[in-house]
Amino acid sequence: MVSIDTLFDKVKKWISSFVEGNGYTNMMTGYMTGELQSLVFALILASFFRIFSIPLGMVLLIAAIAGTLYFAPLIVTLEKENSNDLNRVLYWVVIYFAIIIAVTLWGG
Amino acid sequence: MSAYPSNLWSIPLLVVIPIIVAVVVNFIYNRSRLIKIISIVSAVCLALIASLSSYGYHWFTGQPALRPETLTFTFDPGFPAWRLALEFYFGPLQQVMIFVMSLILIFVVAVASSGLTKRQGPYMSMIFLLFASAAIIIMVNDLYHLWIAVEIGSLVVAGVVVGSGTSVSHKAALKYTFFSALSGAGLAIALALILGLTGYSNISDAIRYLQSVNLGEMSIILYVAFAFFVLSWIYAGGLAPIHPLKSEVYGASFPHGTAMLQTQSKLMLVAIGIVMLQIFGMLPFVREVMLAISIITMMLGVVMALIQTDFRWILAYLIVSHSGLVTVGISLGTTEGLVGGIFQAVNDVIYMTVLLLCCEALYYFGGKTSTRNSLGLAKRAPWLGMAVILGTMAASGIPPFNGFQSELILIQASLKAGLPEVAAVILMVSVTTFIALFRAVYRLFLKPPETSEPVAEVKVPRSLYIGLWVFVALTLIIGVYPNIVVSFITPVAQAVSIPWYL
Amino acid sequence: MIEVTIQLLGFIAAAALVVIGIAGMLFLDNLIKKIISFTLLSDGVNLLLVALGYVEGGIVPILIPGMSVSEFAARAALVFPVGIVLTNIVIGVSTTAILVALAIMLYRRYGTLKASKVLKGERR
Repeated sequence: MVSIDTLFDKVKKWISSFVEGNGYTNMMTGYMTGELQSLVFALILASFFRIFSIPLGMVLLIAAIAGTLYFAPLIVTLEKENSNDLNRVLYWVVIYFAIIIAVTLWGG
Repeated sequence: MSAYPSNLWSIPLLVVIPIIVAVVVNFIYNRSRLIKIISIVSAVCLALIASLSSYGYHWFTGQPALRPETLTFTFDPGFPAWRLALEFYFGPLQQVMIFVMSLILIFVVAVASSGLTKRQGPYMSMIFLLFASAAIIIMVNDLYHLWIAVEIGSLVVAGVVVGSGTSVSHKAALKYTFFSALSGAGLAIALALILGLTGYSNISDAIRYLQSVNLGEMSIILYVAFAFFVLSWIYAGGLAPIHPLKSEVYGASFPHGTAMLQTQSKLMLVAIGIVMLQIFGMLPFVREVMLAISIITMMLGVVMALIQTDFRWILAYLIVSHSGLVTVGISLGTTEGLVGGIFQAVNDVIYMTVLLLCCEALYYFGGKTSTRNSLGLAKRAPWLGMAVILGTMAASGIPPFNGFQSELILIQASLKAGLPEVAAVILMVSVTTFIALFRAVYRLFLKPPETSEPVAEVKVPRSLYIGLWVFVALTLIIGVYPNIVVSFITPVAQAVSIPWYL
Repeated sequence: MIEVTIQLLGFIAAAALVVIGIAGMLFLDNLIKKIISFTLLSDGVNLLLVALGYVEGGIVPILIPGMSVSEFAARAALVFPVGIVLTNIVIGVSTTAILVALAIMLYRRYGTLKASKVLKGERR
């Protein structure tokens, strides 16, 4: 007899493929909360651009929703990019510095 | 203003005493009892000087004065606009910041001298030099001393981190020193650009010149100077792109060393932030840039704290995240924002010291700080368990503790500036702080231990417990009577504030 | 057309040194080479400061007896950049010393000076 995968079975399999072992370990709570926090933060950051122009804020908010859904889970990327590797931090500092100079010179 | 105002007696003492103590304890490096007495006595002296001193200036050299009507320089010493180039200023803000810092210094040296067995002299001298550099940055009113003190401070931070002697701390110190090189060069360039633009190294003079003169095309130079200044600001406070290294520095040193490091770093953030606000605050996009850096730091710090599995690293990331809270207030630049930001800095160093002293106590109970262990310490040391829970509540802004008062002012300030998003982020940070801390507190203190082997009696030094309860009491007192601190901050905040223009 | 002066050349050389220094710190993997890049960066800053204080036909900023104050004010080179450069040299030396000392300590422990091995990111 061939088993029939209903949609429910497929969804259940897909969701449980994320979880190994108990879904409520000490680590897991931290990662789940961190994921939700970074998601909300991305949305807040996008909506921030309303102070420059409201349509820009709306477009960025929609883009942020799409982006967070596409790139989920965010926390893994965030953890990688927050590595304490010297070269990586140096790289980020140079990028930051360039952005600051560009934004302030453009604004002035 | 007279041409030669008299100097204030307390300013040189606040700088020279820690330097002399640093030299002396370095000489008598192996006599631990003598080191302990000298360090504690001098730390108490510093606290007394800071609390008893009147307000005033100390100046080192003069410079040609600017005639406002013709914008020409004159060497005439009788000219009434004679300003002093290299000067320190001791006012109410400086008083409260240096007093809190010296209070923390007392307990840090007491705990360090009872915990350390070897290398005590050099380590203690690093702690005192850290105090000296932070005191200079807090009091300074000229760019030259500011730059030197930032450089000295960053080298001393490396020294304190190396003092804990593990390979992790050597790596953290090396990485941090690379950035000190970068940001020190940046600050020197910023100083040179401001000097070239205004002709002044004195901060008040430079600000007055920039306000009275239309720079026109030359304002581009000011923007470049701002960018370099921001580089050293984010470095000093461990703001966004440098936060992995700064939290590594906090996590790799002894917890009592971290208490001193975070105090220095947060008070430096306030002092440099106020200077930046005054010099560049009127330029468009400057405060937005500062605000963006602060918000990103807050969130990244707190999210990274959530996923750590060691109490030390959780505290390290939370310290970085709360630095963002301090700078949000300063970036807003309004009176409420400045009061909130500076008040938050003072509160932050107090409650983080409580938590760091609790973390130090864990070393006496076997040295396990990973949240993978469940130790059940609340049963073995009920007072320690209570202190850590009170510290957690203060850090997450629960009334009636001090964290609540400053976060309330910050939230009100951001709402008043028309930025409800910032208020939302501040709320998120304070709630997430509670989650991140309580995960560790539950595992280490409240959850019953997995093994039931008999435990030996542990002797925690008395100075640690005294310090713990002094700072817990301070969080409560400031939480109930915030005006004790706010009354010192408000006049300064009113003097330097700029209305938010959105 | 911008006039080419010694000061302008100084600024260009300083910018080149700073850029080379930062690029070296970013892209060279050897710790000692990174430290050398830092010294280049520091030299670039010094050159910038010296060029800033340059005055065409200037004199040493010491008030010699017999010289009038107005003449001194008109011709003396800016004294402040000189002080900053001196301080920067001292700070640069001490920073380099600390960097090299830590590099030696890490070399003894890991047996290599590769930053990508010694200072790589770690999970905690």
